[in-house]
Amino acid sequence: MQTEADYYALFEAYQRGELAAGARASLEARLGAEQRLSQLYAEYLDLTGTLAAYGERRRTRQTISHLHEAMLTAKATPVFEEKAAGGLTYAVNPRLSLSRTEQKLREFWSGHRATVGVAASVAVLAVFSTLTGLSLWHSANAPTASGVRELRREVAQIVRKQDALTRKVATQMGDVATPAVRTNKFSGTGFALTSDGYLVTSAHVIKGADSLLIEGRDHQRYHAETVFTDKKHDLAILRIKDRDFKTFGKLPYTFKAGQADLGERVYTLGYPREDVVYGEGALSARSGYDGDSAFYQVSIPLNPGNSGGPLLDAQGNLIGVVSSRQDDVLGAAFATKSSYLVRLVDSLKNRQPDSDYRLPRFNQLIGAGRPQQIKRLQDFVFVVKVYE
Amino acid sequence: MNMDSTTALAADAQLIKAIQGGDERALSQLYRLHWPMVSHFVLQNSGSEDDARDVYQEGVMVFYEKVREGSLELSCQIKTYLYAVCRRLWLKRLTSKSRLHGVRLLDEEEYGPYLNTGAEDDVQEAEERDRRFATMSEALTHLGEPCRSLLEGFYLLDKSMLDLTAEHGYTNADTAKTQKYKCLTRLKKLFFASYKEA
Repeated sequence: MQTEADYYALFEAYQRGELAAGARASLEARLGAEQRLSQLYAEYLDLTGTLAAYGERRRTRQTISHLHEAMLTAKATPVFEEKAAGGLTYAVNPRLSLSRTEQKLREFWSGHRATVGVAASVAVLAVFSTLTGLSLWHSANAPTASGVRELRREVAQIVRKQDALTRKVATQMGDVATPAVRTNKFSGTGFALTSDGYLVTSAHVIKGADSLLIEGRDHQRYHAETVFTDKKHDLAILRIKDRDFKTFGKLPYTFKAGQADLGERVYTLGYPREDVVYGEGALSARSGYDGDSAFYQVSIPLNPGNSGGPLLDAQGNLIGVVSSRQDDVLGAAFATKSSYLVRLVDSLKNRQPDSDYRLPRFNQLIGAGRPQQIKRLQDFVFVVKVYE
Repeated sequence: MNMDSTTALAADAQLIKAIQGGDERALSQLYRLHWPMVSHFVLQNSGSEDDARDVYQEGVMVFYEKVREGSLELSCQIKTYLYAVCRRLWLKRLTSKSRLHGVRLLDEEEYGPYLNTGAEDDVQEAEERDRRFATMSEALTHLGEPCRSLLEGFYLLDKSMLDLTAEHGYTNADTAKTQKYKCLTRLKKLFFASYKEA
């Protein structure tokens, strides 16, 4: 009985053609007849064939990996030499030579570019939405262009609303609608410059004015006209037009031609509402908004309507004309220095020699208590009503 | 068909003939010629330089074995065939290791009709062969010494029986041969047991 190993020896000999003719013929006959034997032979062939192919594969793999290394080392050698050596012609593709760092970077990029792209677009989106959001927020909260709010009062808006209300009530009551009374649009404060009918107020109060009405504490009304405006220093000089006007009476205060000192107690009277209002504070800086030397900064709480009011020191010297307040700084209001007012009056005197600007020369408020000062002062402070 | 591709096909035919004849220089030329294309392709599609080398070597292997067998049916240029094979190989690797399910490859227009090149079937065939070889390698390892080195020496490294007899210290060639056949029967059992069941 032959073992499988014996058969393998037989198969090998048969394959190599080493068998004698008789033995070969008998084996071929048996392979044709015996199924077990033919299956054994097939398996033998399969096994040895696979082994041989496996060996071939290992050799090929080695060859090819050598090829790769050879290619890498030969990169530096000129290409045309190879071309001359090899009998075949072929096109040489341009080969990129990359540094190690660049290679790493490229690998990183090709591996992560989707992630990087998403991250970048998110970043861009975040940055721009933040920027636009911030700028929107800023523009919504921006102070007025100059950073300073002029203090004339818008009356018309309130009055118009009230008018509409009354009219509505009137029509509902069945009354005939009364024609609307023309109301002033803005109001400010003004005070007497001379006893014979010249007044001072702020230039912005009478801006765009069509007609002006001056109203005193005793509700005496006068029509006034603009004599001169100095927009730069926010000053305006008015004159009362009424024929029956005689005089304001002797002015109790004088105009200070020099500069007032820092820290001086100052006060003002004005008409931010229907009644006269007193405001008190200190002179906190000798320059105005943005370092403007024509103005003082004072720490008096001021409201729209205070514009054009007189600013007086403790002795009752008039040292300034209230002009504006700064929105973004707490308690900073500005007043035009009286020295500018005095200079303006002087220049007007020179220009119009026939008109007489007699500024008061005696101060009657010195030494008086504050309530006494105000009592005397309030007759010379007026509401300036502006119609457009 | 224009002049360019005609001359390219002629050059390809020449190259294949040379490789089939066992000309290593021709294989080397082929290898250098198409490396930039494949490496670019793999790098473009989130692979590394090493990935590119592996894929390309695998691809050239498929091509080379088909050529050596004489069973290569080329309906296009070698360039296109290699591109198609390597593309297929890289796609398989990507899908097997990718976390993402859908893998999309960036292709070069230049190597356009890579679809009907027969590369799919060839890659399939090569994979089957790979599996067979892997099983064989495993079987050889399980076989243990001295059978393993005896069989490897004879079948894989083409050593003569005389050399092997001396190497393994057998008294004569016949003893070595008997031993070899015995080893072969054991290998047969190991190999067919694991290859069939897979």
